[in-house]
Amino acid sequence: MLRTKQVAASPVRSASATWTVVANLVADTVAQSSLLPRDEAEQALSAAETVGRMLIAAGHLERHPITLVAGNVHCEITTVSGTAALTLEENLNPIPGAASAASFTIYLPSPAPLQDQVKAAASAHIRLSDAAPAAPQTAAASGGPLIDRAALQRAVAQR
Amino acid sequence: MTSTSTYTYSRTHTATHLTDVILGTISDILADLNVNMDRLRRDWVQNENAIKAWIEEGSLDAVVLECHQPSGTVAPVIEFPVSTTAGDGNAEFTASRARLARFRAKIDRMPAGTTYRLFCTFRAPRTEQPGWGPGQRASTDGLRGITFGSLGSAPHATAAMRYRYI
Repeated sequence: MLRTKQVAASPVRSASATWTVVANLVADTVAQSSLLPRDEAEQALSAAETVGRMLIAAGHLERHPITLVAGNVHCEITTVSGTAALTLEENLNPIPGAASAASFTIYLPSPAPLQDQVKAAASAHIRLSDAAPAAPQTAAASGGPLIDRAALQRAVAQR
Repeated sequence: MTSTSTYTYSRTHTATHLTDVILGTISDILADLNVNMDRLRRDWVQNENAIKAWIEEGSLDAVVLECHQPSGTVAPVIEFPVSTTAGDGNAEFTASRARLARFRAKIDRMPAGTTYRLFCTFRAPRTEQPGWGPGQRASTDGLRGITFGSLGSAPHATAAMRYRYI
């Protein structure tokens, strides 16, 4: 299921500080899996750090998300900058759905003119990619409906 | 009135915002120019901390990006003047990114081997920052200039851009 997260960038945080928040969010999510070491996520994010700062400072991450795919997690992470960042309500808790993940990939956006920088970063770690991520699984395919229809029907019947 | 803490808080926001706007623009321009960016990546935090501190204390006059071509020509030279305004804290934090993208689309690529130098100029005494020392800017005599205008604004300062080229 597609999820989205927004992280406040400038003027709330510098590009470096914003990247740290994004990296912690991704690493915390991957660490939910007993099969995936947090170290591996941290190493991948470290390899992407320098280009990540550029993507944030230039505003590219506002329109082109970083996408984490791990088990049932398919989460697009974007930043918000400018006046809107000051009132953004962030949820920086780990993204649910990665508990049974056996693998993960961090898809870096590759907007012009930073394509070469992103490609170089993505080639530095096996868990990074500069390709476009596959479309997320549908809710039905990833574990059933989000609404308990039977419970709703019982509630209606009891009225 | 408790304006002191509010003022300090806003100056930090202003400095953070304009530093991002300037360094983000430099990243995109160097990539457009096809100039090696290894040093920019390596020195990012050092540059970010210094520029932010100098904007916050009001000493920074401009950030200057010089491109040094293998032929010895120094062009383009891109200046990012920072103007302090008598803001009341109610102004918005803006960045002219769409307009900048249209401007960047007209930039020519540099020959292979072109390097860059980053300078800061000051209007007032500044605090020392790690990794920064005295330097000598190249002459801009004979260069034509385009004034881009405002690149970003915040409650207590604005950043603009001038693009000087042959």
